Amino acid sequence: MDGVPARISIKELQTSLASLKGLEVVLGKVVYDDWDEKIGPTPYPSVTTLRLWDHRLLERYEPFYSPLCDMCCLCTYGKCDLTAGKKGACGIDIRTQQGKIVLLACLMGAAAHATHSRHILDYLIKKRGRDHPINLGEEVILEAPIIRTVAGVRPKTLGDLEEVVDYVTSQIAQLLSATATGQESNYLDYESKALHAGMLDNVALEVSDIAQISGLDFPKGDPNAALVDIGMAAVDKSKPVILCVGHNVAPGAETIDFLEKEGLYGQVEVAGICCTAHDLARYRSGTKIVGPLSKQLMFVKSGVADVMIVDQECVRADIVQEAEKVGTRVITTIDQICAGLPDMTAAPVESVIDQLTSGKEPGVLVRDPVKVAQIAVKTAISIAPARRTQTILKDEEVLAAAKKCTFCRECRRACPNDLEIDGAVNEVRNGSTQKLQLLYDLCMNCGRCVSACARHIPIIDLLELANRERVKSERFKVRAGRGPILDTEIRNVGRPIVMGEIPGVIAFVGCSNYPNGGKELAEMADEFAKRRYIVVASGCSAMDMARYHDENGQSLYEKYPGDFDAGCIANVGSCVANAHIIGAAIKIANIFAKRPLRANFEEIADYILNRVGAVAIAWGAQHQKAASIGTGVNRLGVPVILGPHGAKYRRAYLGRSDMDERWSAYDVRTGRPVYVGPAPEHLVYVAETKEEAMVIAARLVMRPSDTSKGRLIKLSNYIDLHRKIFGKIPDDFHLFVRTEMDLPLGMKDELLMIMKEKGWKPKEIPELGSTIVDRLVPKKVQ
Amino acid sequence: MAAAIPWQIGNVVGPKNALLLAPEHCARLLKAAKRSLIVVGANATKPSVGLPDLPERVLSLARVMKAQVAVSPSIQSQFSRSGGTQVFGLGLEDLTNRLKDRQWKGFDGKGAYDYVLLIGGLYYFQSQMLATLKHFAPQIRTVSLDRFYQPNGSFSFPSMDVDKWTEGLDTMIRELGGKE
Repeated sequence: MDGVPARISIKELQTSLASLKGLEVVLGKVVYDDWDEKIGPTPYPSVTTLRLWDHRLLERYEPFYSPLCDMCCLCTYGKCDLTAGKKGACGIDIRTQQGKIVLLACLMGAAAHATHSRHILDYLIKKRGRDHPINLGEEVILEAPIIRTVAGVRPKTLGDLEEVVDYVTSQIAQLLSATATGQESNYLDYESKALHAGMLDNVALEVSDIAQISGLDFPKGDPNAALVDIGMAAVDKSKPVILCVGHNVAPGAETIDFLEKEGLYGQVEVAGICCTAHDLARYRSGTKIVGPLSKQLMFVKSGVADVMIVDQECVRADIVQEAEKVGTRVITTIDQICAGLPDMTAAPVESVIDQLTSGKEPGVLVRDPVKVAQIAVKTAISIAPARRTQTILKDEEVLAAAKKCTFCRECRRACPNDLEIDGAVNEVRNGSTQKLQLLYDLCMNCGRCVSACARHIPIIDLLELANRERVKSERFKVRAGRGPILDTEIRNVGRPIVMGEIPGVIAFVGCSNYPNGGKELAEMADEFAKRRYIVVASGCSAMDMARYHDENGQSLYEKYPGDFDAGCIANVGSCVANAHIIGAAIKIANIFAKRPLRANFEEIADYILNRVGAVAIAWGAQHQKAASIGTGVNRLGVPVILGPHGAKYRRAYLGRSDMDERWSAYDVRTGRPVYVGPAPEHLVYVAETKEEAMVIAARLVMRPSDTSKGRLIKLSNYIDLHRKIFGKIPDDFHLFVRTEMDLPLGMKDELLMIMKEKGWKPKEIPELGSTIVDRLVPKKVQ
Repeated sequence: MAAAIPWQIGNVVGPKNALLLAPEHCARLLKAAKRSLIVVGANATKPSVGLPDLPERVLSLARVMKAQVAVSPSIQSQFSRSGGTQVFGLGLEDLTNRLKDRQWKGFDGKGAYDYVLLIGGLYYFQSQMLATLKHFAPQIRTVSLDRFYQPNGSFSFPSMDVDKWTEGLDTMIRELGGKE
């Protein structure tokens, strides 16, 4: 296999020189393996090892392309027009080119997570040592389900994770080479490679999170992890403020360590935006979370932060300039974001502090987290008193600028959500900010309107001014990321999930590029938790869900317990903590169903596709990382629903509920082909509205192997949700009824009448379940 | 007919852009339609669209064109009084996926649609669905009836204000044989 170590196993060997037992040789490297689970068929899979599985999925869930651009501009032959069947100079057509772009997006995401895992691992190995144990607590014995399933290894120490990261990075290079002109030429094979990239991404996520949980002592699956302050008003502006932006916790954690060591913790605010905030809150619950990516521009423009530590991923390309405008000193910390700043890693700490406090350098690059901490703390303490007396932009100036509006509408035409910014800004001329107040929840703070404005009206500042009273009181509670799902929790819920008695697992994941603000996310999560689905969350979604109070003044995290159980909402943590949501599906297959997971990706994915009713909703997915995480999840058989902006990822994986021939599987007992459709109906679906997403989610949790009792519960929720939201019984409910036993009792007669009109006929339910992998049918029945 | 600037200025798609079609000229084009489908997006009934009785207008248009109507499930309940017009609820991405399949015989199984008219969608989402049809269903003529120019259609209204749009839709329906 390409890039995969050849293994020679010797179970037992007696010679005159030595006696050997359990010896495994991998390309000259000796591995002592005491894991008694037999190695599965696909350790460290290469680019093509799982191709057959991918093609099986893609046959049922055909790629659906929505090109964002009709041109190919990737080489000097171009620009090539690929519209409606035309080919480029290299021979590529639009479908193949879209597959290539999708792969590139997934590779960007996977590479970001792979370098993140490398950075955090190098940092922790330096800090704790290569032999530092991976420890996710006493109730997590199966601590690396993705790595075990994909790589076939069971890492015990931080050092053991290095070979896993090596594997991920070498595979990414191989995949990237396939995107060069003259390489891969088939769209389905591009998709197979994208699925491989997604799987690698998921491995990298797990490396990062189990390393940082073990190395920094984050919560270890604690459903009662601390409730932490979140919101624009969570930060105490009377203290020096250090703001951490990005995804790598190392420099922020070192900052907290330094403050504690100097006895200053609590006297200096440590706040965060985006996933770094999640992880800092997992490290110390005194961390203040400003909010998700969408709060970055407005908060930085406020000038509240004295020092901003920038690490990696989801950092605005203009944030250093914006920080400089308001006098916030910037420290970038990672090779991936140098931001044009001078590299002062080797300079003495005091001289860097001098450069920053004097303003000779508004920002510096320091690639050493320990030094970053000292520089950030001392600089913040030094400059904070003077900065508190400065005014960034006077209210009168902002209002006067608004009066220059000519109603040209360029702001609205630049807005990704077509918000009526034009009318709102123009209304300021008449002395009213009412429309600006209405925009606050809907605006994603991308700033495109500001760039588009020919009169240079500071629209984001105007938005802040119009909503200042609200911003001042914007303070909520989010539960710190709990990390892994406990093995005991899996034992409790595994059976009810697989049998369908818990209607499903709904994961709210991804970024904050919503069509109608973040409130929709909270409304969806609330509805599913009330219906006793298991609700989990991560990343920006987990933050935004917290930013709304119910009628009792509680956020969702105060309202619902944080367990992995029916009717609960569990925040696992940052983007890399998505590994635990994915891992939970694998754990169900292993802990509950006793499926061997070691290097056994295909069988585990087949099990999940056919039995585990989990769905992810990435309502504001924006980043390439969301594409790669989601695509990895798809390879494992879990459907993903995207918000409408997700159409700009250019590709969905859609099933056809009207084509029975697409829904054939094998009955695992008899080996005969059996109709199992349409469940789950799609693997990636872009919903136009929140309402559609909710109803689709209730539909996508259905699985071929649901028991009748389970299908009845899932169908009840689907029909009831559809009726509640859309005012009628869904037209397609009969497609999911296999026998009359599947029907909700209270509606049985009414539904049977409709089914009769539609010509419904009972279908066979595979007694022991179904599979789409022929080799998994027992040989005796083949 | 000439090209125009997309409503969302960044939505520049390539060399093939929708031909501009003023509403008053649209009727002439649509008279050639043999089997058409009107696709209504979830935004259609939002106050911001500025046309509270848009569902009634869509149904009037469907009647005069003898067209079927597909609506986003989110607003299907507002099309309950459809008279004799066949109204189907289906997610727009799912629908677009079927439309691009040359073997798909439509909601009633009687044959493929030759004209697909879109109205009331989220601008960027509708643009993506039109892109799919432009590339993978070139046999279908797509017409954007919204008041914002959509370059990915075969034809599109130009960007215009609500009053002109309302007047244009009414003129179009009248010329197609309706009473509006």
